[in-house]
Amino acid sequence: MPDKSTIRTAVKEFILEKFLPGEDPDSLTDDTPLISGGILDSISTVTLVAFLEDRFGVQFQAHEMSADYLDSPETIANTVEEKLG
Amino acid sequence: MDFDYTSLQRDFREEIIRFGKKELSPGARERDRTQHFDRALWDKCGEMGLQGLAVPEEYGGIGLDPLSTAIALEAFGYGCEDGGLVFSVCAHLLACTIPIMKYGSDEQKAKYLPALARGEMIAVNTMTEPESGSDAFTMNTTALPDAGGYRVNGVKTFSSNGPVADLAVLYAVTDPEKGAHGGISVFLVEKGTPGFSPGQKYEKMGLRTCPIGEMIFDEALLPAESMLGEPGSGTAIFNDSMAWERVCIAASHLGTINRLLDQAVTYARVRKSSGKKIGAYQAVSHKIADMKIALESARLLVYKAASRLDRARDVALDASMVKVLVSETLIKAAMDTLQIHGGYGFMAEYDVERTLRDSMGGTLYSGTNEVHRNIVARWLGVG
Repeated sequence: MPDKSTIRTAVKEFILEKFLPGEDPDSLTDDTPLISGGILDSISTVTLVAFLEDRFGVQFQAHEMSADYLDSPETIANTVEEKLG
Repeated sequence: MDFDYTSLQRDFREEIIRFGKKELSPGARERDRTQHFDRALWDKCGEMGLQGLAVPEEYGGIGLDPLSTAIALEAFGYGCEDGGLVFSVCAHLLACTIPIMKYGSDEQKAKYLPALARGEMIAVNTMTEPESGSDAFTMNTTALPDAGGYRVNGVKTFSSNGPVADLAVLYAVTDPEKGAHGGISVFLVEKGTPGFSPGQKYEKMGLRTCPIGEMIFDEALLPAESMLGEPGSGTAIFNDSMAWERVCIAASHLGTINRLLDQAVTYARVRKSSGKKIGAYQAVSHKIADMKIALESARLLVYKAASRLDRARDVALDASMVKVLVSETLIKAAMDTLQIHGGYGFMAEYDVERTLRDSMGGTLYSGTNEVHRNIVARWLGVG
């Protein structure tokens, strides 16, 4: 089972490649606000969730596709880690 | 990958086509002229199971998988020449019944699904507002906590089935700060709820037998248990239901395109001009050939998308591609069929002009085609 650091790294790599092409990787920190900061819109949120479900074998419920669960790499890692149990 | 229908799919498809031709198509021209929603025909559709195609049998439905549902709706669009009735059933099933089936509590499913699946209740999806259309999540309607439930205020518009609906699937802002990302929730609102009433009814260019209007919420107090899904689920539920709607309404359009093709072929084989059947002229036969090529291409995309409903997050991309391709193919098929019919196509008696009018809404409802091209581009990382 991947640890939180592994999840966080994978999430950052995915976000940099998909939604922040050409950006300095250091600009994306553990606490960068993704949804409230406007990096993720509704389509990119679904794309991210599809990636998380595929990569880590977890399932998201409708209400979990929101800032409460996905607003930063740290929050995302926490959400996935909790789902992995 | 198997491109053949199963025997069940084929038999049910043929049964729906026969039903549509015999029971639903007669009188369609007059109902269109008078904008008449015929409740008796709606009830017949319910007896046939059309409003509950995808609903599990334990809740009174047929229990079809998504692809079989699409194939059945394609047959419905082929056999039933009343485009508004087809649209009414699709809006009820895809944007209202299926979200309840997928996200409803056991109590909500037991209370509503059997009546919805049998057509005993009519449902309306209330999302669009006067100032938010394809940018749906900028809605102004609020449902704020009050007295142990939610107090709703706002106006929804262009609500298909609204004037005849018994149950509304309402999208409203429950947390303005979160907005589209966890701030929108869904509620089931029954007709007769104090503060909930139908507003203005609209006259349309096409799909005229599907009534459409405003829905007004004025200090309507909803019990907490009327919420569909968890608080903040609205965006995800809406996107899911729209994937179903975009793919499966397009499936019904495949049937309409097929009917237009048959109509064009029949006419081209009997109508003569300068001593020859008009089908002998390439100006006509190439239109028909192109219609066939477009239909078969669109069918492949629809079936692929339908087979991925419920098992792929990125079916939203498929749904947008389907929406654009099929709606534009339908309009072109209707225009070409009208052109092949010449002046007769312009006359109401041949029913082609009505199908053309019905087809025009396809590039507008469920998100305009411009928005869907934006969605496709954004899935590809551009735009």
